[in-house]
Amino acid sequence: MIIQLLVNGIINGCGYALVALGFAFIYNTTRTFHFAHGAVYTLSAYFFYTFYNLLNWSLSLSAILTLGLIALCGILIDDVIYTPLVKQGASLFIQMLSSLGLYIVIINFIAMVFQSETKILNPEVQATYSIGNVILTRIQIVTTATFVIIFGLLMTILKKTYLGKVIRAMRDNPDLVSAMGINPQNVRRVVFALGSALASVSAILIGLDVGIDPHIGLTAFLNGAVAVIIGGVGIFEGAALGAILLGLLQSFAIWKISARWQELITFLLLILFLLFRSEGILGKRRRIEEAKI
Amino acid sequence: MNYVFHLLTMINIYTILALSLNLLVGYTGLLSLSHAAFYGIGAYISTLFMMNIGLPFLPSLFLAILGSVLLSLIISIPSLSLKGDYFVLASLGFQIIVFTILYNWIDVTRGPYGISGIPRPNILGIQVESIASYFIFSGVLAAICAGLLYLIGDSPFGRVLKAIREDEISAAALGKNIPRFKVIAFAIASGFAAVSGVLFAGYLQYIDPTSFTLMESVFILSIIIIGGTGNLSGPILGTILMIILPEILRFLRIPDTIAPNVREIIYGILIILIMRFQPQGLSGEYKFE
Repeated sequence: MIIQLLVNGIINGCGYALVALGFAFIYNTTRTFHFAHGAVYTLSAYFFYTFYNLLNWSLSLSAILTLGLIALCGILIDDVIYTPLVKQGASLFIQMLSSLGLYIVIINFIAMVFQSETKILNPEVQATYSIGNVILTRIQIVTTATFVIIFGLLMTILKKTYLGKVIRAMRDNPDLVSAMGINPQNVRRVVFALGSALASVSAILIGLDVGIDPHIGLTAFLNGAVAVIIGGVGIFEGAALGAILLGLLQSFAIWKISARWQELITFLLLILFLLFRSEGILGKRRRIEEAKI
Repeated sequence: MNYVFHLLTMINIYTILALSLNLLVGYTGLLSLSHAAFYGIGAYISTLFMMNIGLPFLPSLFLAILGSVLLSLIISIPSLSLKGDYFVLASLGFQIIVFTILYNWIDVTRGPYGISGIPRPNILGIQVESIASYFIFSGVLAAICAGLLYLIGDSPFGRVLKAIREDEISAAALGKNIPRFKVIAFAIASGFAAVSGVLFAGYLQYIDPTSFTLMESVFILSIIIIGGTGNLSGPILGTILMIILPEILRFLRIPDTIAPNVREIIYGILIILIMRFQPQGLSGEYKFE
């Protein structure tokens, strides 16, 4: 029982971690509190639903098309909404509020086109596998494997490639990046495309598991954002660690208390971290002069 | 005619919400996503006292304000040291926690079933019953609140808040105790939000947690973003616009199934456009710098 809960918590955490990593890529490098990340999540679930369920295209084609389209949407959002604001020198508040506005527009557009009821993407009964006492569904195994592969790839890109170096440089000091002759605009496009695609992977996997409705994005985004804060803003591994811890905590909350109080536990954890360890688990305490924001 | 009185009553209720949130956003420069939580706290506290103990309207209103102010301290005292988006996140967390409690503490709040049969207010023997009289009653309260908030904003206290908004470090250098000012501003705003909640509960005579969600907080915030912040005219203009807009859509014969979505899409687009081209809103003074 306990092992099953542990495993379920970690697997849910892997789903959150993809959204959290996507948000972290955007937030760490551009400092934009990308609320619309939740809308991007919902949008990709509905792209996939359109291709896979309405048009009956194959799973892999639908998934690849969705990822490509959503990466383009990410770039478009940055180009149309955020970049003009950054060029005007608008404050982070203005960017955050615009993002909120964009979230409202996208979600309501989806609700208008597809209605609000839950859509089931995968009507078949899922195959299950039991390992010892632990029972896993196929989609749970796929989610975990996908997360492990993507996490490994991202860390390799960040640590070993030139692109990763530029992204980390942008996180540390955006002005110096342009001083090096790199167009920061292109770095922004890369992180928005990558971040949106990561959210999309999670949306497709979780959508196949439990179905979709227009509001899934908000919960997914909030879980992801909480994970980034508790893991440590500015640290890419922190997002994944925070997400898995959050998954574990929620699964224990369901066991010990009740599923109804899951959100309360999540946001209590957020507030406790903000108050007592706002740099997150992996973050280092900074001196005031070094603090960003 | 009742239709007009209904709209005007809603404008009165939301004017108090917008003006009180304005004290935080427009005067102090604190972006809060928890205003609907205090609106709900006010509605629930007064309703529970009136329905369970049979307390009259005025003492219930007083207890609702007091409860909301005290609860605001729980969030404001620790979290005001947080900077920028961290404060916004803390207020968002508080909003969701309050909603979860209202929704799941079924023994007390009746959760998703809501509470019905809330009595209309009776003030010192005068029973406010018809929609027309409720419009007058809410109008008087809204005018009192607007007057008080104007006086607060115009007082030396209000000017310190504006100084904090413009430059926190300079205000501190002038010997102002910044956290104390912020805590007091937050408490005042929460108290006024509770008044709106009490008015709302007495008007609809039914409350359930879905009136006090995160999206409701976003709606109240969008009223003052679109209307403008930092003065009185911005939030009032925003309230009138945002309450009337759905009615205009109704006259345009947009089908009921998509009308709420169309309305919210318009809100969203307005927020994006205003932030881009006129960050001080239609009639405000603060530019979110």
